[in-house]
Amino acid sequence: MYYNQHFPQAIVLCILTLAVLGCDQAQPTVYEIPKEDRSATVTSKTEQGASAPANSTTMQILPGMQKSADSAPEIIYSAPTAWEALEPSGIRKANLKVDSDNGSAEVTILTFPGDVGGTLANINRWREQIGLDPATPETIGQFSEPYEIAGHQGLYIRLKGRSQSVLGAILPFHGNTWFFKMIGDTPIVLANDSTMKQFLNSVRFADHVHNHK
Amino acid sequence: MNKVLRFFSSLRLTVVLLALSLALIFFGTLAQVETGIWKTQKDYFESFFVIWRYPEAWIAHDWFFWSGIPLPGGYLLGGLLFINLIVAHITRFKLTLKKSGIFLVHFGLILLLVSELLTDILSVESQMAIDEGSQSNYSEDYRDNELVLIDRNHPDFDRVHSIPVDLLKPGKVVAVPNTDLKIRTLHYYPNANIGRARNTAQSQSPATRGAGVKMGLIVTPKRVTYSEDTINTATAYIEVIGPEKPLGTWLVSNVIDERFPPQMVKMGEQSVEIALRSKRYYYPFSVELVDFSHDKYPGTEIPYNFSSEVIVGHENTEKSQNALIYMNHPLRYEGLTFFQASFANNDMTSIFQVVRNPGWTLPYISVILMGLGMIIQFGMHFFKFLNKRSR
Repeated sequence: MYYNQHFPQAIVLCILTLAVLGCDQAQPTVYEIPKEDRSATVTSKTEQGASAPANSTTMQILPGMQKSADSAPEIIYSAPTAWEALEPSGIRKANLKVDSDNGSAEVTILTFPGDVGGTLANINRWREQIGLDPATPETIGQFSEPYEIAGHQGLYIRLKGRSQSVLGAILPFHGNTWFFKMIGDTPIVLANDSTMKQFLNSVRFADHVHNHK
Repeated sequence: MNKVLRFFSSLRLTVVLLALSLALIFFGTLAQVETGIWKTQKDYFESFFVIWRYPEAWIAHDWFFWSGIPLPGGYLLGGLLFINLIVAHITRFKLTLKKSGIFLVHFGLILLLVSELLTDILSVESQMAIDEGSQSNYSEDYRDNELVLIDRNHPDFDRVHSIPVDLLKPGKVVAVPNTDLKIRTLHYYPNANIGRARNTAQSQSPATRGAGVKMGLIVTPKRVTYSEDTINTATAYIEVIGPEKPLGTWLVSNVIDERFPPQMVKMGEQSVEIALRSKRYYYPFSVELVDFSHDKYPGTEIPYNFSSEVIVGHENTEKSQNALIYMNHPLRYEGLTFFQASFANNDMTSIFQVVRNPGWTLPYISVILMGLGMIIQFGMHFFKFLNKRSR
């Protein structure tokens, strides 16, 4: 029979090489990159995605939330003519601007899967954004009232802060939670109370269950 | 020695190995339903041994949960097949004109086995997400994370000290290369829920600095997911140790990202940013997304084409170029391949799969060799048959 007498050693060598290649341990590394403008990234990402300025009250947008926002039913609403409609972006389903001599405010509609930590946690997130102390389950009734949106039971919230205020609504809707929020300078926000309610009354959902066109 | 060689060169071994490969593919397919393609590939095909477990979703799992079938992994079977084929050639086959077709087929097969191994070891896959009108000079691997300390004090560049998460073992101290700093991992969670503590009793956290303290964050470990469209929230408590004394403990997580203010480790005048993030690969060029189009069949939501128009700007301007990336038409650039993978953000963001695979041509060559070998082999038989008939 024809074979090379060193062949068995070669086989052992092959197997050893395979074994060594199979268990390479990652090591710390150092590298240099062109300067990154960290602050710029914060602003642009915030504008696209997050629901609030990039401070400690930013809502945690987990991977998958974007996808869920994309797959949520389409929302139909009619905005008051005085409000300027901006292009919806990222997870925002609607993006509106209210301007007047008394200041400015923005109106956003967002949706997330699940209850996003519960109503109280979300109200407290809003309270923190305008510098109010957290509320407790007992005090929640002082600034909120049940409110029906698109035929489903939601909650209307009125938060008066010193310079900034919030008018908002939270609506659990078929496994998702919808957030309607006006945040901005206190005078203009408070002046828009009834307009905000009209806006909420105009909201309809278009999906396979609710085809309110 | 003769016996050993005879065993390794035997056709019987080939048949057994091929039969086991069949079994491996069968059970791998069953496992894929539970764990997804990525994990199955690691467990079954990029391993030496694997134990198939009775799937949770099957009936009577409570009775049979303990049952399992041990199987040889892909590396073992592929390696043995490789050895089998090579030994058989050295000891049994003789290169003759009559057998040249078989030789070509076998050589193609050997090349295919080698190229698969090379792909496993050398290929790197990651994703690059770019918003329309902006650009990116790095891609990210969402399945792998790194702890980074970024020194932004230099006016011309940022220096990134990267520590792979494999080294984040509780209690283990790792020196940060090129610095006087060390890090000690208190906890590492491959996946977790991060939430805000509802009361102070809940907020007992090892963190003493950074976002974890400021926001009162608490961590609840969670089972690792292998689903295709979910990203694990890798999270860790990291103590940073300076040359003289510990500097504090930070909560880092890949969801505490650019949307949050950077977490800084301060040492006197100097400070470095600390973060846990998806593993990044930086390039000497940047890709700018000019336009992403998402065409649908008229009157429907059914997509018919996704395409991204990009400008690649290289440090060396001669290498800069424009390209249109769409389905089955990737951009091959500097040893990388950019595939159109996905999109997000109301069609404003395009996501590319970036693949570095130095051996990408080998499977093509091996398939051509095998095809050629078969043509020669069957061709010879065919002409022999024709000759016989004409006689």
